[in-house]
Amino acid sequence: MRIFAIIVLAVCCVLSAVPAWAVDGTQLLVQIDRNLNPESYAMYRKLINIEPDGRKKEYTLFTVKKGLDKVAAIFIAPASEKGRSTLRLGDNMWLYIPNVGKPVRITSLQSVIGGIFNNADILSLDYSAEYSVEKVEEPAGGYLLYLKAKTKSVAYDRLIMWVDKSRKVPTKIECRTEAGMLIKTLYFKDTKDFGGGIVRPSLLETDSPLYKGYKSVMIFAQIKSKQYKDEVFTLDFMPKMESLR
Amino acid sequence: MTTKTLILGIIWGGLLCYSAVAQEQAAVLPQATVEAQNLGSFPSASSDEYKIDESEINKKPYHLGGYAQFDPFLDGFRSNSAFYKVNFYNQKVGGTVKEYNFELQPDFSLEKGIARIYLQGNVSQNNTYQGWSNDSRLYQGYLTLKPSDSWSFDGGKKAFKWGKGYAWNPVAFIDRPKDPTDPDLALEGFTAVSAQYLHSFHGRLKTFSFTSIVLPVIYNLYGNTGVNESFAKSQSNVSGGSSQVTSNQVNAVEKAYFLLYNTDIDLIFLKGQTKTTRYGIDFSRNIGPKAEVHGELAAIKDFQKNFVDSNGSLHSSTYNALNYLLGSRYLSSKLTTYILEYYRNGAGLTTGQMQDYFSYVDNGYNTYLSTGKAASIQKASNMSSNYGRNSPMQNYLYLRISQDQPLGRLYYTPAISSIMNLNDGSFQVIPELVCTRITNWELRFRTYVPAGAKNTEFGEKQNNYRVEFRVRRFF
Repeated sequence: MRIFAIIVLAVCCVLSAVPAWAVDGTQLLVQIDRNLNPESYAMYRKLINIEPDGRKKEYTLFTVKKGLDKVAAIFIAPASEKGRSTLRLGDNMWLYIPNVGKPVRITSLQSVIGGIFNNADILSLDYSAEYSVEKVEEPAGGYLLYLKAKTKSVAYDRLIMWVDKSRKVPTKIECRTEAGMLIKTLYFKDTKDFGGGIVRPSLLETDSPLYKGYKSVMIFAQIKSKQYKDEVFTLDFMPKMESLR
Repeated sequence: MTTKTLILGIIWGGLLCYSAVAQEQAAVLPQATVEAQNLGSFPSASSDEYKIDESEINKKPYHLGGYAQFDPFLDGFRSNSAFYKVNFYNQKVGGTVKEYNFELQPDFSLEKGIARIYLQGNVSQNNTYQGWSNDSRLYQGYLTLKPSDSWSFDGGKKAFKWGKGYAWNPVAFIDRPKDPTDPDLALEGFTAVSAQYLHSFHGRLKTFSFTSIVLPVIYNLYGNTGVNESFAKSQSNVSGGSSQVTSNQVNAVEKAYFLLYNTDIDLIFLKGQTKTTRYGIDFSRNIGPKAEVHGELAAIKDFQKNFVDSNGSLHSSTYNALNYLLGSRYLSSKLTTYILEYYRNGAGLTTGQMQDYFSYVDNGYNTYLSTGKAASIQKASNMSSNYGRNSPMQNYLYLRISQDQPLGRLYYTPAISSIMNLNDGSFQVIPELVCTRITNWELRFRTYVPAGAKNTEFGEKQNNYRVEFRVRRFF
């Protein structure tokens, strides 16, 4: 009887000591990705840079994504940017400017529009494709995920992600360097039903201690699950991206 | 400045300023939002405040866009330079000259089914010390048929823009030479028909494409003008002379592209009746999230280089020329972009050949001053486009440093570029400031300062400096 009591106590201790194991972080991150976007999609977005004096500059993009590592986008407004397209294949990124007439390689930390959103934000892949989950915490009403970049080529080495427990979508993400320095914070707002089972935040705000007083906003519209051929995600297709709309 | 220039400048400038101010006012957020900002709180964004209208994303079957620009210059000349002598030996232009350029570059596209038509024109009106001049030309105009995502066919006038280099592109066999002081300028294309096949893979090789192009040269098709006659002339621009062939010619160009091991690789081959056979290879690759490296190598078979000695006698040599470029682009954590390129122009002139030309110019100019006989200086003047073209010699270094968002200010980009001739030690420095703060407007202030000793490329340029202010309005 005494031995039985000790065994029961030991089992209880073990179970209570590992509550985090109750949540599979990797599985949760994949679920968050799928709740944000279908794996392959077509989407319209507007990016707005807001200066400290309130002045705004807006950019409208059409974006397509396929699988884990293929994203392409074309600017449809304003006139000065119209026809510019960007392509990402894994760690490779290119920018095509109609006047220049050829794709040139760009890096993830650059920004094709200036402002707080850089190329990695504009051509973002699934979080689970670029990050592994180091730790999951469960504060009241949500999850807190500590993510570490899988490779050195990822723009932000560490992410801390606050997640809405019921919808399993992010509410806030802090992007940090390997040393823990805060680069920017992303706020996910205004959950909206986009149809086709896609219910997700329609607004992404960001600020950064590196750009005091500046804000950037990303608005999502018309997210549709759609399949494209791999050939769409090639350099030679960049000047023809408008044909996908 | 003539009255016509003044009136046109005032009207143009007035329209630009009015439009800029109106747009600036419209771009500012409502007062309440500004006050919220001043209180230190970010405006509470919501989908009501920020939304995308359907009209913004509805696709039209056609597109009409482009830009208009006003681009005044101030040139400061040095009268003792070789290129001043060949260009102005019989004119009095003074030490400084103003120039006003108006340019319109519209583009139009129409898409229906698998077909798309694209047109890009360029119209310019210039006022120089010689008076008004104008130019209008079709930069591009072609039809694309895209029966599938893998196949596409083009026919018409098109700029191909091959190569990975920023300032130079030795493998751009069927492009007009670009200006390394302004590499992003649109270039006029050549008339050609092309077919392209592309395919994607999973694995180390991610993309493969093959492009086959036929580029004809037809003389005197429309009266005195033909098709791609300037493609034939562009060989003489490189070599300093060309044979006067006027029979129609055909050139075939093939390009294979691979995205292999995350590296862009192009293999290019040109064989034809207008130019000697050429082989090219280029590559580009990212090194981490901040850096990129690229390179190009072009081999030109039986390249013919023509040059003049100090007495004005023409010489020619034929050899297999090797041109190559190595470069890198790096973005620092403070958003400073560095572009560094080394260019070896094996088809270029040697230091001695360039100095012979400068000696010939000096002799011809002195003869003209002392006797009034202009034959020699006129002959030198006729050759000036070959010796005075961009990067005529053999070894160059290009460096560009640009700063995004200096002092935390978006849309302002100061930059400084420099091209150094490693053969003679002369160089050119180009500081600039670009402002894109107002939507659809671009303001650029630039100066060009060539420097070098006597008998060097940049030391003998006609300009002591050039100051330029460009206002560009996109529509």
